[in-house]
Amino acid sequence: MDFDFQNIVTISVYGSAIALILIGIYAVLIKKHLIKIVIGMSLVDAGLHLLFVAIGYINNGTAPIFSPGYEDAATNMVDPVPQALVLTAIVIGFAVTAVALSLVIRLYKHHGTVRIDEIKSLKW
Amino acid sequence: MNISPVHYIALPLLAAFLIPLLSKLHKELARIVPGLVFLYFLVISVVLMQRLETQPMISEVIAGWSAPWGINLVFTPFSGFLVSLMSFIGFLVWVYSYHFKKIDYMPAQKYFILLMMLVTGSIGIVLTGDIFNLFVFLEIVAISAYSLTAFYPGRDGAEAAFKYLLVGSFASALILLAIVILYTQTGTLNMADLAVKMHEVPHYLKVIIFVLFLVGFGIEAEMFPLNGWAPDAYSQAPGPIGAVFAGIVVKGGIYALVRVVYTIFDLSGVGTILIALGLVTMIIAELAALRQDNLKRMLAYSSIGQMGVVLIAFGIGTDTAIFAALFLMLNHALIKSMLFFSASYLLYNSTTKTIKELTGMAKHLPFVSFIFALGAFAIVGLPPFSGFWSKLYFLMAAADAQMVLLIITVLSVSVIEIIYYFRVIGKIYSKDETSELEPKKPTINSVLVMTVLGALIIIIGVYPDLVTDWIHHASDALVNKSNYIQNVLTENLPR
Repeated sequence: MDFDFQNIVTISVYGSAIALILIGIYAVLIKKHLIKIVIGMSLVDAGLHLLFVAIGYINNGTAPIFSPGYEDAATNMVDPVPQALVLTAIVIGFAVTAVALSLVIRLYKHHGTVRIDEIKSLKW
Repeated sequence: MNISPVHYIALPLLAAFLIPLLSKLHKELARIVPGLVFLYFLVISVVLMQRLETQPMISEVIAGWSAPWGINLVFTPFSGFLVSLMSFIGFLVWVYSYHFKKIDYMPAQKYFILLMMLVTGSIGIVLTGDIFNLFVFLEIVAISAYSLTAFYPGRDGAEAAFKYLLVGSFASALILLAIVILYTQTGTLNMADLAVKMHEVPHYLKVIIFVLFLVGFGIEAEMFPLNGWAPDAYSQAPGPIGAVFAGIVVKGGIYALVRVVYTIFDLSGVGTILIALGLVTMIIAELAALRQDNLKRMLAYSSIGQMGVVLIAFGIGTDTAIFAALFLMLNHALIKSMLFFSASYLLYNSTTKTIKELTGMAKHLPFVSFIFALGAFAIVGLPPFSGFWSKLYFLMAAADAQMVLLIITVLSVSVIEIIYYFRVIGKIYSKDETSELEPKKPTINSVLVMTVLGALIIIIGVYPDLVTDWIHHASDALVNKSNYIQNVLTENLPR
């Protein structure tokens, strides 16, 4: 197997996507600070988005646009669908993070703390 | 104007943006506009259901890209059944909560916008024919549900909402991952096309994708052990929203699960998994409901238990079982929303929301107590009410499949159900002492809504034939998978 530049890029993109997801899951499960939990959630999202974009990528691919001079573009076009989906998913992730942070503010005002182990008026 | 399923989604989104502007013109518009939207939903439902008499399904292509490439909305008798039910419950919730926050209109405006988004998102889940689009609608539902759970600053709403958000975003991450894997394997997102290409996917990946979907949608469908959010969210959200969660949002989650199981996958043994999960969900939830002293949490657990029964019915998977599952869903939507409507009046001025405080409430609120009792009788499945028929059909389906143990379990769980509901009724109608709670007189709107629901429950109970045809069409449409695929993929060329 030849370790050319493209291979290294591919491996590192997939590797960092999975690493981001794992770090995010770790933060959500282990951390007690609400803001850190929210950061962990965004990290999981970011990892998934990176994974999705990486799947649609083709080495030396072109932008998925038909334009004069690129009539044979369809042969090595980057798949546009994952990119469109990731854009949508980013917007959704943004909205969820915004709601989560506003809930953290509300919790802080109500309980005077942002540590999850000190807030337990409701039981699971 | 040409009525099409797109209106279900386009109109409320437009209205949601316009409401803040319109309410600058007149404050009352923030209340009236959502009602008009819900009323229009009912009109479209009736028109589209009539159109289904002449054609098997309505498939609406969006933006001129035909089925496997573009997003399409599919209105089958099955989705039509759920959409009409959701529109109807949505409209009733609007009528019921018309006077919500009468004095300060800013919270009311937010409430009505979020309510509309919640209903629209659930309807979108049911209508869409595209798996990623389904994910987007699920997120619309989730975000509005988080906000509505945290609606009251004074209560523990924020905490319940944060829990719900943690679980919900976990679910959406899993669903997104499943969609990513599915897309890499098949190169399509259209559900009918996915069903065709599913055989290309290696078996182990199929199992992974299925588990991801099951857990992801299971959270929205209140499946054990993923339903920790439900009792908190039900008890912290404003009263009518409990009815929306039970009547509309959960149905969306169940629909997504069922669509994935029945249309996309053809795995063997899925039915057994669903039956097992449904059984565990039902037993744990009903036992938890028995232990609750908070009325709304009790109703929430009861709702989870009912969803367990629906899951079992879908797991059995015979024609009668699916028919029973849809009948159960219809009854659960009607009866549980009626219970939530009446419970929020019973608990109106209570701070702890416990059952203990309701002692002798019937003297203060005879009508509301009567409605609550009616709902309790109906949901445990006593004969003159609609709940009886769905339970009977369910047991018949289980008997056809020769699952004796299942029948025994469901019947013994019903006994638990009877115990905790009758305990509440006993407290309400107790003659010993009277409640110290300040009773809140129900508004005319809410009396109207509760009367309509109560009447429906009795009418369906006495003449079940009124709805069985409708449900038969719906269950046939769900079972007939090849028909769905064929209609979506071939018969809708771009106009």
